[in-house]
Amino acid sequence: MKAEQEILVSHQVLQVPFNYSAGPVAGKFLAALRDEKKILGIKCPKCGIVYVPPRGNCGKCLSSLKDWVELSGRGKIQSFTRINYQEPTHPAHPEQFILAVIKLEGADTGLTHLVGEVLEDELEVGTLLEPVFRDYRKGEILDIRYFRPVRK
Amino acid sequence: MTEQTKPEIGLLEISSPANFPYNYSCGRVGSFFFKALRDEKKFYGRKCPQCGKVYIPPRPVCGPCFAPTNEWVEVGPQGVLECFTVVSFSFLDPMTGKKRPVPYGYGLIKLDRADSRIQHFLSVNEASQLRVGMRMEAVFNEVREGKLSDIKWFKPVE
Repeated sequence: MKAEQEILVSHQVLQVPFNYSAGPVAGKFLAALRDEKKILGIKCPKCGIVYVPPRGNCGKCLSSLKDWVELSGRGKIQSFTRINYQEPTHPAHPEQFILAVIKLEGADTGLTHLVGEVLEDELEVGTLLEPVFRDYRKGEILDIRYFRPVRK
Repeated sequence: MTEQTKPEIGLLEISSPANFPYNYSCGRVGSFFFKALRDEKKFYGRKCPQCGKVYIPPRPVCGPCFAPTNEWVEVGPQGVLECFTVVSFSFLDPMTGKKRPVPYGYGLIKLDRADSRIQHFLSVNEASQLRVGMRMEAVFNEVREGKLSDIKWFKPVE
């Protein structure tokens, strides 16, 4: 018998692949990313709040939402951070993994997404960003590869 | 903005890979058991000093008595098939990360001198060829790593 002190470690991978139907509201938003490279918001007829990503009912007044708004895609950083550790589920490598909450022009809610083509210390709250779309898009939020600072 | 929705929008699916790799320590009792599989191709059970039950897989504490188990007892290598099934539904095996090839036989085997049962794959995947009470023995893999999958499966004793 080998060294009694040896403690073994069990390595396992729990996998729960699942699919769910996006539904008519998220579906339209994702299809617009995929087919038109456009970011759509949805507006509440009662309180005027424009939601992005869009939702079926207003969070404030519960009105049914169906008034779509095409947004420019540009927006300002409300907050940001860099994630500097690695997990298999992360969408980016630690050196380039900057997440921001972005207030898109024409929208009232913040959109969380990646920020690329820039170093963390060049960013600040209020930095103006624009989306960069992938060439091959599937109808998912990462059809937007990341947002990058608008450079004059 | 057009009111018409394209037909494929309603069918758009969001898919999530959702992989959760995890590691956990087998502990001293578990490590002893797995090392014996890996290095000696032997099964060891753990005995309760109070009720005398031999647990396999081994437990550091006896469930009914709450007494710490204190003795290793070699069990097997053969045992009795106490229950079995043939599985036709494949799922992602957390030990391998791959789908289990179906159909496969799976059963509970009470190894000689043990009081609890070990569950594992069976070499037979036809229910008509399996019978409660059959004597079984473990077939070990050539390459063993100190895991339950060091046992390839249990096969009927000829």
